[in-house]
Amino acid sequence: MSHLDHPKTPVRASRRRHLIRGAANVGVLGRYIVAGFVLIGVGVACKGQAWTQPELLKPMGLDLAITITNMGIFLAFAGVINVFYYTPFKESMDARNHELEATFTEAENLKKEMAELRTSYEARLAATEAEAREQIQAQIREAQHLRQTLMAEAAARADDLLRKAELETEAEKQRVMGELRSHVVDLTFNATERLIGEKLDSATNRRLVEQFIDNMAVPSGS
Amino acid sequence: MTDHRVAKRYAEALFNVAQRNDVVKNVDADLLAIANQLKNDPSFRSFLYSPKVSREDKTRILEKLFSDRVTIATMYLLRLLLAKRRESEIEAIQEEFEALRRGYAKAVLVTYTSAQELPDAQRKKLVDKTTKVTGRSVEALFEVDPSLIGGVKIEYEDVMLDGTVRGNLDKLRGRLQYDLFKNA
Repeated sequence: MSHLDHPKTPVRASRRRHLIRGAANVGVLGRYIVAGFVLIGVGVACKGQAWTQPELLKPMGLDLAITITNMGIFLAFAGVINVFYYTPFKESMDARNHELEATFTEAENLKKEMAELRTSYEARLAATEAEAREQIQAQIREAQHLRQTLMAEAAARADDLLRKAELETEAEKQRVMGELRSHVVDLTFNATERLIGEKLDSATNRRLVEQFIDNMAVPSGS
Repeated sequence: MTDHRVAKRYAEALFNVAQRNDVVKNVDADLLAIANQLKNDPSFRSFLYSPKVSREDKTRILEKLFSDRVTIATMYLLRLLLAKRRESEIEAIQEEFEALRRGYAKAVLVTYTSAQELPDAQRKKLVDKTTKVTGRSVEALFEVDPSLIGGVKIEYEDVMLDGTVRGNLDKLRGRLQYDLFKNA
């Protein structure tokens, strides 16, 4: 890298390159003009001399002095055209081509980068998908395990409730049976009491009292 | 609320005084009459137990009511109870006094409950038999309860001798229910 292409001064370097190129163009132009004017001078100097009109060229009406003069003029104009038109046009085309090449290169680079990114992304996506699948499978396994556990718990609870219900039913049955028996006994005894009450007269009552008195145990020694 | 320890002390003191003066039976009758009055006459009860009536008024009215009907010892007890604001203990004192009197006389209160009114001969027979059974003189209290159906029930102190139809049926009922539950 030359000092003109120093990255810290790109504007100045460009200006310098332009100036150098301009100077070189002026030099080329000068050479063309000098050569053109030399030929013009030769043509003018040779005008009217015999050798400028040989017999061979007379039928075509050509004059070598004029031809040389025209060549000088053409050369001078060619220099002007070269300097002011062709060279800038060529430079512009070159710059454009260069720019296009750079653009294409950049596009290629970007394409490569995109391809790399795509590959990387696809790899990451595949890894993520695999991980997601693994997680989903793990979640499914866990859910199945949980389902089995819950079902087992529910079944155990249902069995427990059923057993309790059976026990309660049995207890209730026993209680009702007991109440029923007690009720039957009460009814029987109530009827018996009523019957005895109706049948028991004063004489029977006195006899009962007498029996009670007779059966009263007197402690020994009294 | 009566305090039986307090009532017992008053009863013991009164019993000693009555015994010295040989008026135990009279005092007992006085106390029983006053207790019955309290039991049967709500206005007398509310008057005697009312905190709004002054001690002087209570003393004055009790003297008017009982001074010529009860013994001096009983009247003195009433005055003392009013002075000490212990008039609510009268019924408990009567019970304790009666218990002391019976204890001293070696007597026992026996309640005879029968389904029908008992003839006098049977009553006498019952009392004689109970006297032999307890070995003490008997103060008999006869009551009638038709729900007993037939027979007689004797109660004294913590003892109950049940010869009623109702009692026997209840015993039978209990035994039957016990057997039923046992075999269930």
